[in-house]
Amino acid sequence: MPRPEIEQITFTVDGREVEAPAGTMLADAAKLGDVDIPVFCYEPKLGAPVGACRMCLVEIEGIPKLQTACSTPVRDGMVVDTQNPRVKSAQESVVEFLLLNHPLDCPVCDKGGECPLQDISFGWGRGETRFVEPKRHFQKPVELSPLIAIDRERCILCYRCVRFSQEVSEDYQLILHERGADTFVGTFDGHPYVAPFSGNIMELCPVGALTSQAYRFRARPWDIEQSGSVCTMCPGQCNVSYTVRDDRVVRVLNRQNDAVDDGWLCDRGRFAYQSTYVDERVTGPLVRENGRLVEASWDRALATAAKLIDAAGDRVGALAGGSASNEDGWLLRRLMTEVVGSRDFDSRPAGLLSAGLQAALDAPEAQATVEDLDWAHAVLVLDTEPVDDMPVLDLRLRKGIRRNGVRLAVATSRPSALDPNAELTVRFAPGAGEAFVCALDAAIGGVGDVTGLAAAAGADPEAVEALGRMLREAGDDVIVVWGERLTHIADPERAANAARALLKASGRLGLLDGRTGSGLLQVPSGGNGRGLREIGVLPNVAPGFSEPAKVGRSSREIATATSAGELDVLHLLHVDPVATFPDRALWQSALGKARGVVAHAAFLTEGVAAHADVVFPSEASAEKEGTVTHPDGRLQRLRPAVGKPEGTLPTWQVLSHLITALGGRATALTSMMVTTEITEAVPFYAGITHDEIGGFGVRWQDRDASEDFPAGDTGPFSLDAPVAAASPNGALRLGSFRSVWSSPEVRHAPALKFLAPKQRAELNPDDAADRGIRHGQRVLVTADGTVVSATAHLRTTSPRGSVFLETGLGDESASALQSTEATVPSMVTVESA
Amino acid sequence: MSNHLLFENIDEPGLSSIEVYKRRGGYQMAEQALAMARDSIITSLKDSGLRGRGGAGFPTGLKASFIPQGKMDKFLVCNADESEPGTFKDRELMQKNPHSLIEGMIIAAYAVGANKAFIFIRGEYVQQAEILEKAIEEAKAAGYIGENILGRGVELDMWVHRGAGAYICGEETGLLDALEGRRGNPRLKPPFPANQGLYQGPTLINNVETLTAITYILKVGAEAYSAMGVEKSSGTKLISVSGNVRRPGNYEIEMGMTGRDIIYGLAGGIEDDREVLLWFPGGSSSPVLTKDDLDLPYDYDSLAGAKTMLGSGAIIVADDSNSVVDIAVKTASFYKHESCGKCTPCREGTSWTTKMLKRIQSGEATPMDLDVISSVCEQIMGNCLCVLGDAMAMPVASMVTKFRPHFEAHIEEMRVQNEARVLAEIAAQGNVLQGIAAD
Ligand SMILES: Cc1cc2nc3c(=O)[nH]c(=O)nc-3n(C[C@H](O)[C@H](O)[C@H](O)COP(=O)(O)O)c2cc1C
Ligand code: SF4
Ligand code: SF4
Ligand code: FES
Repeated sequence: MPRPEIEQITFTVDGREVEAPAGTMLADAAKLGDVDIPVFCYEPKLGAPVGACRMCLVEIEGIPKLQTACSTPVRDGMVVDTQNPRVKSAQESVVEFLLLNHPLDCPVCDKGGECPLQDISFGWGRGETRFVEPKRHFQKPVELSPLIAIDRERCILCYRCVRFSQEVSEDYQLILHERGADTFVGTFDGHPYVAPFSGNIMELCPVGALTSQAYRFRARPWDIEQSGSVCTMCPGQCNVSYTVRDDRVVRVLNRQNDAVDDGWLCDRGRFAYQSTYVDERVTGPLVRENGRLVEASWDRALATAAKLIDAAGDRVGALAGGSASNEDGWLLRRLMTEVVGSRDFDSRPAGLLSAGLQAALDAPEAQATVEDLDWAHAVLVLDTEPVDDMPVLDLRLRKGIRRNGVRLAVATSRPSALDPNAELTVRFAPGAGEAFVCALDAAIGGVGDVTGLAAAAGADPEAVEALGRMLREAGDDVIVVWGERLTHIADPERAANAARALLKASGRLGLLDGRTGSGLLQVPSGGNGRGLREIGVLPNVAPGFSEPAKVGRSSREIATATSAGELDVLHLLHVDPVATFPDRALWQSALGKARGVVAHAAFLTEGVAAHADVVFPSEASAEKEGTVTHPDGRLQRLRPAVGKPEGTLPTWQVLSHLITALGGRATALTSMMVTTEITEAVPFYAGITHDEIGGFGVRWQDRDASEDFPAGDTGPFSLDAPVAAASPNGALRLGSFRSVWSSPEVRHAPALKFLAPKQRAELNPDDAADRGIRHGQRVLVTADGTVVSATAHLRTTSPRGSVFLETGLGDESASALQSTEATVPSMVTVESA
Repeated sequence: MSNHLLFENIDEPGLSSIEVYKRRGGYQMAEQALAMARDSIITSLKDSGLRGRGGAGFPTGLKASFIPQGKMDKFLVCNADESEPGTFKDRELMQKNPHSLIEGMIIAAYAVGANKAFIFIRGEYVQQAEILEKAIEEAKAAGYIGENILGRGVELDMWVHRGAGAYICGEETGLLDALEGRRGNPRLKPPFPANQGLYQGPTLINNVETLTAITYILKVGAEAYSAMGVEKSSGTKLISVSGNVRRPGNYEIEMGMTGRDIIYGLAGGIEDDREVLLWFPGGSSSPVLTKDDLDLPYDYDSLAGAKTMLGSGAIIVADDSNSVVDIAVKTASFYKHESCGKCTPCREGTSWTTKMLKRIQSGEATPMDLDVISSVCEQIMGNCLCVLGDAMAMPVASMVTKFRPHFEAHIEEMRVQNEARVLAEIAAQGNVLQGIAAD
């Protein structure tokens, strides 16, 4: 559905003439005239108003009954009264009613001081009660989940939490039990409310009925300060507000930015702050001594690292992880190119695309924004699982579908949480993304051998044809949300073919023409994947997607070269390739072989713990300063909310010191100066300052400098025949995924620990039956003699012939089953343990 | 012409079967209607002056004309939830003459272009639901319901859906939510069901009696129908009379008959020749009337003029052996129990009022509590999401206003009794104490 045009109208509220966009609900429109209408149940981000609490009653000329301002759209010439005795009496009545059964435990309630019920009672209530009957009682508080406590006596039954669960996150767990004055909130089956976005209900609750188990009784509103920044845990980059008490983060709230997050956070982003204050965190430099990492002074750590790098000459490889800011990445790049003289650095876990293809995929004309997803005619989710890879996007897609009739198609190997919302789902074999996009291109174009290509992708040809038809006929505004994973193919030719096929298919749909509302939106595998790419933290791309003088090694090539003794030192910036990259065995061998490993890390993950010679502490999200670039091109600013552990240096400064120690030119004295270096080097970032980025970020595509974006390689292409997915032949294809709960922060945050994943093998029930495997039983997954044990998890939606395992679980990871040489997904056998 | 339409052959044995129904001229109106232009049926309904029999009395033809045209699925929903205390007319109609309802639904569905029809029936009406299911099967077999009704290219399917037991599911939007498989909570209006009703599609919702009347309007003609009754309340009305009358039951009257003729004529007067204390003219939601109001004509406007309403047409009579306090407690308790809890004034107000009334009943109150009750009822009225809240506030407020001396007398009587009891207890304790002292 296309974005509607909205005109301005004029109406009168309490005697003032006010201009407002037509159709705005009165409750919002009145604010434009500085008139505050109290609301409880109204929360626009939950969708259509429900008119339940009746707090917002107002009088509208010509309508006999009082009307709810939250559900009445303003019309031209409307005359509204929010103050007359009749309205006042209705407001006082509702406040009186709401307080009847409210326990008034303000003095011991977390919400006290930041409570809409307190504020509205004070502002619109009568200030006394006539209620002398016994109040309603519940056991209190009880655990709604390990994260959330519920106090049902405080609940004013505004329906917000239930609507969130039913209509926003669509986990359908929360309901209202019983009826009338006996109504209470709970899960439908009495089980804990565990869901990826559950924490949002605490922020939605207008009273202290839903409180954070982690924050309960930690502070009162007058003890705390709020400090805005951006979450760096995933590419979603939700805007957050850290609650700080005594220089410690004690809570994370959303800082609504509709262009980014619609005011939601996932539970990982909300509770991971706890991992800032655990003993396992690296809070000072470490140096390996007699095989053990021991605490060291900054001077010693810096000198050791410098010596290692110096001794290696240009035989140094570097990797930047997703949480690296643009500034961290930039200084790593400068260290490598200017001082070390190596181009062997990468910010992607696998695969390599030419500068031209990268530029074509990231071109402003091809760029869809997150907000465009609200109003698209159709969206294709391609080779990514939003709820795991960029959680907040999952909510955005659900919103467009539910409220604006956006049509969704999902094309992935593993079943997606969005399948039930999709008009069409297509499955292809794990690792057969290249063949799949080729087939899709043929289907959209109505040319070529769709059947043969679909077979090569292990996909149903009819479904591919139907998808092609749907995208072709949906309308002008089509968006393809695609996972970087699609191009994580070791063979650069194959990766390029996949990218070309994607560009070609997009071109056929007109997605590359610069039309607002349509285009591509890539989900990078790292939180700041786009920023690192644009500033040139890639082996074959210089800042701003220009061609570099010399091309270096990509991630996998760095691993191979180090294993082969061609590189001596590995520099790991906020990344542990053993723990998180594909090709685990290869990386284990590489780190083992390396003469020196310098790491920046917050936790001693397995590769770092086993192999690092020097470890510099990484900042926690809330301590970080700098900028990051959102997948749709929005530069956002990280502002430190709290100080770092005593005596600790920020990463950009550590890198700066290393540059100087190795004889380089130290140019950056502040983080801001590094930003300036970047905006001077990347033509389409030209002139962006921290001030311009401000609180809500700025999309570089919206600025004049975007004209300096280089021309990309847009074809015309003729595609190569893709590599066909291996037929299972009795074995199973191994697919992998990384759940939202798989990260060191989750494992270390006390509140989130219980969510840390354990390995499970997702199988189709028929494949399981063939092997005599039952749901929930232990199984062994084997490839080339390597065995991973898991719990069998049967899903009817899981495609036949494949098994899916999680990555990021150490020896039990999917990546453990990939052999050093193999560049295609492994074939595995699954049997009862 | 007899003033019996809907109840004309009501007690004829076997009328619920399609054979007998057809022998009595059944389904001729449906056949006739399907040959008419859709508009002209709606015009007939408008001309007949028929008003909704479910409670609100909204003009039926006008409501039907709100259904938009177009190719989308459109729905007809028959409200057979009949949960208003004192109301049992739909039950008799469905039980004894189900085909006249089905025929009315076929006509209404055709008139608005609905292709799917549902009868939402209260769960307790097990027998009636089974009868309807059987009747629908018969009508399908006879070709009155199906993909191509009587070969005229008209499509209609029909289902019976049983409610799970909630008064609020009789409220039309609560009914729609329940029908969709959700918790039966009223929806915010607008959008009205005519535009976005069941599954967001255009939906016409009418009461059982309203839909049945359509069959008979076509039979006698709009003009003849509108000539029955009085101005703005045309036709006949089924009324359910209950309480302290000699002959409780359902009666079909021409609109405009007086309350006295109904209660003392049709229903045979009051048991033991007692006096009327109060009567609810339109179900328990209607403000009560007293014996002074017995000569009011029973029609929409006369009752509205007396600040009450015709509602569902259920007359509940209480004689002077009853205590108005008990009646108030019963009434309020019902609505408190049935409030869905979605909106604040109803959820909290019905519960509070009930608590106060119970306190009055047990004698732990003062006359000041009556003022609070009146004020709370005032705070509920007009401020709720649906009118269930008002449905408690209106009758309770009317009782407190009209019978205040009764309430005060009760409070005083209970106060004296309680005082005596407490004094007696103290005295008894004193004896015990004396006993202890003597030990
Ligand atoms: C709380 C409440 C309960 C209701 N219960 C019923 C009912 O049981 N049966 C009914 O026909 N209408 C009931 N109604 C009225 C319906 O909402 C609606 O007005 C009616 O079905 C419309 O049909 P009509 O136009 O034929 O009267 C109720 C309304 C309210 C507010
Ligand atoms: S728990 Fe909070 S959000 Fe949920 S209904 Fe109660 S008051 Fe509203
Ligand atoms: S008035 Fe009562 S029944 Fe109606 S919506 Fe409000 S709470 Fe529910
Ligand atoms: S805010 Fe309008 S009814 Fe709740």
